[in-house]
Amino acid sequence: MRTSDVVIVGASLSGAAAAKRLVDAGLETVILERQELPRHKICSGILSPRGHRFLLENFGPLPREALHEPTSCKGVTFHFPSMVSMSMDFFGGTTPHLHRKFSDHWAIKQSGAEVHDRTSFVGLEDKGDHVLVTARKQGQDILYKARTVIGADGPSSLVIRSVYPDYPKQIPWFFVGQKFHDIVDCPLDPQYFHFWFHPDLGHYTWSHARDGQQIVGVGFKRGDNFDARHKNVVRYLAEKHHVRLSEHTSHEGCAENFGPSLINRYVFGKGNVLITGQASGFLNMIGEGMSCTLHSGALAGEAVVEAGRRARPVQEVYRRMIASEVRRTTDQWNPLKIAFGRPHEADFPAALMKLSWRERGLVLRDIWRFILLYKEFKWGRQIALAAAQRLAAAGYPGGRWL
Amino acid sequence: MSIGPDHVAPDALVGIPRQRTNAGRWVADGWSAFRDSLRAQGVGLLEDAATRGIFATDAGGTAYGLPHGVVIARSAAQISSLLKAAQTHAVPVTVRGGGLTTEGESVAYGGVLLDMTGMSNVLEIDERALTVRTQAGIFWSALAERLRRQGLDYLSAPLNLTSSVGGTLGVGGIDVNSPHLGCSADQALALQVVTPTGEIVECSDTENATLFQRVILGYGQFGVITEATLRVRRYQPLRMRYFYYASLRAAIADLQMLDAEEASDYSGILTMMDKAITLLVAFDSDEKEARFERAFLSRLHGAGEFAFAVRTAIFYALRPWRWREALYLYRRKSVLFPEFRRPEFHRGGKMHDRTVVFSRAVWKHWGRRQMVIPDLATSAEKFIEAVERGNEVCRRYFPYYTLYCVGIKLREDHRTHYELSCIPPDARGRAYGCEFEPMLGDAVYSRDTLQSFKNEIYDVGVALGASYYRFGGMMKGYIRRVFGDQLVEHHLTMKRAADPAMILNRDVVF
Repeated sequence: MRTSDVVIVGASLSGAAAAKRLVDAGLETVILERQELPRHKICSGILSPRGHRFLLENFGPLPREALHEPTSCKGVTFHFPSMVSMSMDFFGGTTPHLHRKFSDHWAIKQSGAEVHDRTSFVGLEDKGDHVLVTARKQGQDILYKARTVIGADGPSSLVIRSVYPDYPKQIPWFFVGQKFHDIVDCPLDPQYFHFWFHPDLGHYTWSHARDGQQIVGVGFKRGDNFDARHKNVVRYLAEKHHVRLSEHTSHEGCAENFGPSLINRYVFGKGNVLITGQASGFLNMIGEGMSCTLHSGALAGEAVVEAGRRARPVQEVYRRMIASEVRRTTDQWNPLKIAFGRPHEADFPAALMKLSWRERGLVLRDIWRFILLYKEFKWGRQIALAAAQRLAAAGYPGGRWL
Repeated sequence: MSIGPDHVAPDALVGIPRQRTNAGRWVADGWSAFRDSLRAQGVGLLEDAATRGIFATDAGGTAYGLPHGVVIARSAAQISSLLKAAQTHAVPVTVRGGGLTTEGESVAYGGVLLDMTGMSNVLEIDERALTVRTQAGIFWSALAERLRRQGLDYLSAPLNLTSSVGGTLGVGGIDVNSPHLGCSADQALALQVVTPTGEIVECSDTENATLFQRVILGYGQFGVITEATLRVRRYQPLRMRYFYYASLRAAIADLQMLDAEEASDYSGILTMMDKAITLLVAFDSDEKEARFERAFLSRLHGAGEFAFAVRTAIFYALRPWRWREALYLYRRKSVLFPEFRRPEFHRGGKMHDRTVVFSRAVWKHWGRRQMVIPDLATSAEKFIEAVERGNEVCRRYFPYYTLYCVGIKLREDHRTHYELSCIPPDARGRAYGCEFEPMLGDAVYSRDTLQSFKNEIYDVGVALGASYYRFGGMMKGYIRRVFGDQLVEHHLTMKRAADPAMILNRDVVF
């Protein structure tokens, strides 16, 4: 049996951020990773400026190998069915286009924690003052004993399942997939991340340049057909934006837990088990998850350190500390905050004001039609409730968190 | 594979480029050889987790780092052996006094942490020459207590008296009498210093003057201060007066006027809110107070307590949506005012021992487990703008915060001491400092939120060409931007010459 202060499940950015805080404070930290490092990761790789700043401040300047080509992204372009497009630059300047395979590995190495890769998490048992974790490496079971376990293993988290077995059934699941195409002719600006508010294309439709190829991605409710959905988008891009691509050379996809941050229904764990990163439900506007993941990961690490220093239960400390990140993330989906609050990463209201009155009307109409696509999830009332609660208090109520 | 220039970091971020604030841990190469060499010389090195854990963070609570071992300072000779061994084995040594740094300057990211509090004796008090010789690990509170027995007082010390004398001499030390008497670092007459290569040297303005210039306000880069001779004065009870303002601009203008005219012995500004600003003025002698009443009282724009209370009550009565603010103000007033007027510290209208009164109040009503107090130090001319811009930043981040503004009288003959320090290069006569302290209360903020807040305050300093009182550590990225490469390179060359292995207080300035 291996004993340490903390076991982190998942060698990703949130794991690295948590590990950095823990190792700095002198706690012995072991990270378990299912795959062999460096491992591949499905991601657009476009990090928000806040995430960029976090990486710089905590891990130092990014090595070149941690970046794709183009190495940076200037901002986001929204496209609407009425053929209005709006480009918005990120506030902080350009932001990196991360090659997740190498950026994650670099961050993990910089954190200074001990990594056990090719070790899959199997289950855990919270004994009150410590947690026993079972993992498997090359068919052999290994037992870990730690005071705290941090689950940073992404949307389909096994750590969540071991604490809340029926959680996956409680939330809607989406599938996002991207295909890589060689470019024949692409008028879309490679410096921007492109996003379509189009109900016929899918719940989440995007495109951007990477390493000389064009990525065409689409997200939809689980159960639909990826190939058909994707073909539809490619056809639309060719027709409306004159994007000519050759047949894709590769593709990938994964399940997404989009939703918890909209309706303030995060999952942060139980007892000595903390859930963090995208596993807990953090997702920024436009689906960027890395910056929340880094910050929530760091908060999980900070909470363990604080709990130890102040002799408080770690779960209580974590929930108090995470409130700021919840506030920030859920604010982005709060209609009142979008309309009247201070914009976070890029200024949508300012870009809207640059358009003519007619175009503004079209954009708002298109956004409304796009939102109706999400009607079946019945989030409207919950979002309105969260927005109302936010008016009365400084944050979102923790009572709805798991 | 060679790594080419990085297109997105750190200069891709518009505005002030960011850089690494949470330093990486030192890779413990050669640690065991170093440990053996220390053991052979009889220097005690503590390596247990509990001892090391005590020093994992500083008062700021945003920087964390764990030393590989801790040495408790006992004598200059012991520190000399430690530094010699550290030079040989290239082991970083971080020196810590009270640990009241807020940017991780006294946090060891690996290597050895040298705890100076082990050297805390007062060695000699000369009542005729009005000097004291003390070991540098002593806290100001302990020194004050020792001086009081002989009816003496230090000249100026930080409000927070659990900082150590050595640490304060290395960074500045301001008090409400700094506009009149200068910062603590200017009170030192002579020092015993252990250089980074392990020589024990006595220095002053006349003896080893170059070393003296570098060590004073040197942020621990050029030596460990082990003993200091300080100027002291006769102890005097003081008479306090308070004036209240609703505008920062008016309060600062009055503060600067009083300072320029030498109208009082103590002066400073403490805000409760943007609409409630206190200018405090105090006097050592009745003559000075009489002169103040005669010549300056009518020139002040501030109101007395009663007039201000009436005015504020009317202001909030007309703005019912701001009653939460008014309530906060009222609560704050009702705990703070009695604290500064406690009968046990007052006799005949005079405050006996401001040391006790102030540092009690600071800990009780401003101190929390985390000290977040970014600051700006500017010349007198730029000060108002710096404070107003910093105040804007505070307002965006926190509902309640305090500003503490005070002047620092400069010594023209110490200009070389002031190079690359908290004293802004363009300040003449008097510099001004403002600390921006959010009232964190029981609210919990992530380190990143606090760091962003501090960065925004420091950005104002870059924009205005100011300096900082808290200087280095997590904010060392600002040093080159504020002082320019030429000056920093010049000091780096001196540092390399003095400390070839670059072991003493790494990651603080360079």
